[in-house]
Amino acid sequence: MRSERWKYILSLTVSIALGLLIGALIMAATGHDPLDGYSALLRGAFGSKRSWGNTLYKTFQLCITGLATAVASIAGIFNVGGEGQMYLGAIASSYLGARLAGLSPWIALPVCFLAAILSGALYAWIPAVLKVKLKINEVITTILMNSIAIYLCSYLANGPLKTTERGINSGTDAIGKALRFNRLIPGSNLSETVFYIAAISLLVWYLMSRTTTGYRMRLTGQNERFSRFIGLRADLLGIGGMLISGAMCGALGMFECFALQSRFKTDFSSEFYFDGMLVAMIMRYKPLGIILMSFFFGALKMGATTMQSSTKISSELILIIQSVIIFLMAAEEGFLRRVQEHRVRRQTVQKEG
Amino acid sequence: MDLSSIFNVGTLLNTFNTATIVILAGLGCLMSEQAGMMCIGIDGMMTAGAFAAAVGSWYSGSWLVGVLCAVLVGLLFGCFYGVMVVRYHSDEFIIGVAFNIFAVALTTFILRTVFLQSGSFHPATGEIKTLPYLSLGALGGTNINISLMVPVSWVLIALLQIFLYRTPYGIWLHASGEHPDSLRSVGRSPEKMKYLGSVLCGLFCGLSGAYLSLGYLSTFTENMSAERGYVAVACVIFGRSNPVLVFLAALLFGFIDAAGMRMQGLVDPTLTAAFPYVGTILMMVFLALRNQRKLKAKAGHS
Repeated sequence: MRSERWKYILSLTVSIALGLLIGALIMAATGHDPLDGYSALLRGAFGSKRSWGNTLYKTFQLCITGLATAVASIAGIFNVGGEGQMYLGAIASSYLGARLAGLSPWIALPVCFLAAILSGALYAWIPAVLKVKLKINEVITTILMNSIAIYLCSYLANGPLKTTERGINSGTDAIGKALRFNRLIPGSNLSETVFYIAAISLLVWYLMSRTTTGYRMRLTGQNERFSRFIGLRADLLGIGGMLISGAMCGALGMFECFALQSRFKTDFSSEFYFDGMLVAMIMRYKPLGIILMSFFFGALKMGATTMQSSTKISSELILIIQSVIIFLMAAEEGFLRRVQEHRVRRQTVQKEG
Repeated sequence: MDLSSIFNVGTLLNTFNTATIVILAGLGCLMSEQAGMMCIGIDGMMTAGAFAAAVGSWYSGSWLVGVLCAVLVGLLFGCFYGVMVVRYHSDEFIIGVAFNIFAVALTTFILRTVFLQSGSFHPATGEIKTLPYLSLGALGGTNINISLMVPVSWVLIALLQIFLYRTPYGIWLHASGEHPDSLRSVGRSPEKMKYLGSVLCGLFCGLSGAYLSLGYLSTFTENMSAERGYVAVACVIFGRSNPVLVFLAALLFGFIDAAGMRMQGLVDPTLTAAFPYVGTILMMVFLALRNQRKLKAKAGHS
């Protein structure tokens, strides 16, 4: 078990190093100096108090989205639809946040939060039920439901729920001032929401690694038949994983709008969920690993925006590096297995001979 | 409400135009599906193909070179997918989803960093030569112009139908997914057939991408496949990997898309844009419910 973990850490390190090397090669191939690129990236991630704030916020964002992917995957359902769940959570809570502005925050905020997690969870419930009851592939349904949710929210924010305020293109009414979260470092994205994100992340980590429910979910995800045979409600456990995942995405949608945008805007997210999903995939859905590595990928991600503005290297490079890391780790696993098989075969041949 | 505003020749044309994207990608997807692999990554292959086609056609000034570039890129990506799944036994879904993110990121990166443009590809000099259009006269006051790729896709459906059900290669391909051991017992390598399946998958997805950027539109735009690759996978499941049935499923998708566009006077356009995706999910639910009922009926009989 122990050597297994070291082997994993080694392969992760090698894959990340190779991924960064390939990133450098791509920069060189497109006529940019890799050292310039990476130093701009470092400056962007840690250069000032403001960039530290942005990097830390991105870390928390990756943490909650990564864990959301992991929870569903551990329970056996690959949730690619977090983006849509986040949009619905964002619009539902923002709408209430504007309507309930007169109420005391002690009542209004929990109501908004409830609306956010319920709409996220409900939207995740649909593909979960389709998967568990009808065996419909969840990757296809969740990704198509992303598009549906984004179109729906864009319709609402441009139509029935459009604000009358001037100068706002596609957004809902402003959320009550008393309900908004304050920024911890002025000018950066770091706001009070990180305490809530941290609490949710720890709760989910505890649930998945320290409770029987988490253990049963893991069992169901690994072998659904076995879990049914020993008397577990495999269907409910799978759906439960998706519900938690959807609720987390809905909550993040609310945090984004209540802290940074002050209203729901159709462009509030630039595929935030997919960033976290990639981290979760790289970390093979290990909750602790996701929490620890979020900082590294958060720095890469935030640094890339500065790299883009100062060196004209598109920040998409980070997505390329991340997917290359996934490919490398996937290939490495298979490669080692082949080497081992080969060795075993040679040993048996020698024994027989 | 006037029904003729929704059901007319223009809608029919749009149906075929949109369906062709899904048909070509679906043909690719069903080749890998026949070999027992679900290729979620076709969305990425389409995006990469579309980009290669637009750049190739612009650089050489010939649409044929553009199509060849797209096919080449598709083949490369198909090989890559085959190596990952067949040789290294990677999880198809993880590879597929990572693959789609990779393709969108790579094409966007090259567009922004090399061509210094964002959003879509609009070269300052030269032009992107699109696929030739066939003029079939006029019907009901609408001029009928279709892209060359539309009839080509129909020919491909017929050819694939013959290939899959009338040639030994097609049967071996199917066997490599369904009964790899029996295929091995007759001296054929299931791995080789799986490679064939994934390479052909890449080829057709490249063609679909070429049609996207040189036929359906006349340039490349970022993330231009717009999840149609996933729709194609759904159509392949719906059509049980049979080319003709997949064609019909794709037509249904194309029709929902085209009819939605015609309904923009009645319903908000942002809502009609979501129709094809809702339709695709409903299609899958319908099929699953029917299958379940069949299974239950069978269990009741025995």
